[in-house]
Amino acid sequence: MKGNPDINRSLNLALRSQLTAINQYFLHARMCKNWGLEKLNSKEYKRSIKAMKQAEELIERILFLEALPNLQDLGKLYLGEDVPEIIANDLRLAGEVVAELRKVIGECEQAQDYVSRDMLQEILEEEEEQIDWLESQQWAMDNAGLQNYLQSMMND
Amino acid sequence: MKGKDRVIDVLKTLLAGELAARDQYFIHSRMCDDWGLSKLYAHYEHERQEESSHADAIIRRILFLEGVPDLNNQDNLNVGSDVPSMFKNDLALEYHVVGALKAAMKICEEEQDYVTREMLRAQLDDTEQDHAYYLEKQLGLIDKIGLQNYLQSQM
Repeated sequence: MKGNPDINRSLNLALRSQLTAINQYFLHARMCKNWGLEKLNSKEYKRSIKAMKQAEELIERILFLEALPNLQDLGKLYLGEDVPEIIANDLRLAGEVVAELRKVIGECEQAQDYVSRDMLQEILEEEEEQIDWLESQQWAMDNAGLQNYLQSMMND
Repeated sequence: MKGKDRVIDVLKTLLAGELAARDQYFIHSRMCDDWGLSKLYAHYEHERQEESSHADAIIRRILFLEGVPDLNNQDNLNVGSDVPSMFKNDLALEYHVVGALKAAMKICEEEQDYVTREMLRAQLDDTEQDHAYYLEKQLGLIDKIGLQNYLQSQM
């Protein structure tokens, strides 16, 4: 089914963000694993897989709309060198993704592409939950202290 | 089956190292148990068993190659007095074993004893990726979370 060319472009932008997120979360996961922080490794790894599933939905929708999903293009990774930086940089990425999703959802509404809009709204919901989780981690670091926080992230 | 003298000799050297590693983990595991660090005790006990199995493989190979394994000969132990010094001493030992295994593998390659070489390759894998990596991570965790938290998490 032929889609609106503007919506196809916007869906590709949303796809680009998820492809970037897959890599950022994945590298952060394995950095945590290398430090012996198994629980944080598992959290970041699962988030990377979720980004992959979100990318999958976008790819399938773009193909269905008879456009080409662009998997060549990748955004810049915000990599942290320690755990507080990792969490802050994930938050930066998630914040950008949310802003972009809201913009694309508005465009879908204008173009009356309600099915794409609904799909994006579900991704938005997951991204908002991710932001909430990341903020909780910052709260825990501030209130339990970094050393205690890291201790609680050792065993999965 | 008669083995090459150079291979049997280097296996004897490795055996002295593995026996020392086994006993160093033995005493460290029991010290941790005495201090109530149950998780660390369990881990050290596992390492002790693994070093025993390395020694076992080397003894069996020496016998198979018609050599005489010498269990009187054992490298010196470096026993730690607290958890960080245990880790540091064990890590120094593991690094030493890595070097010894590589040197022995080179001799096996030269003597075309590929079966002994493969046995040592498996031990090198354990030594690098399991034993040494674990110790490096623990020392890194002590830096990150502080010694008191680290010890708490090993209770």
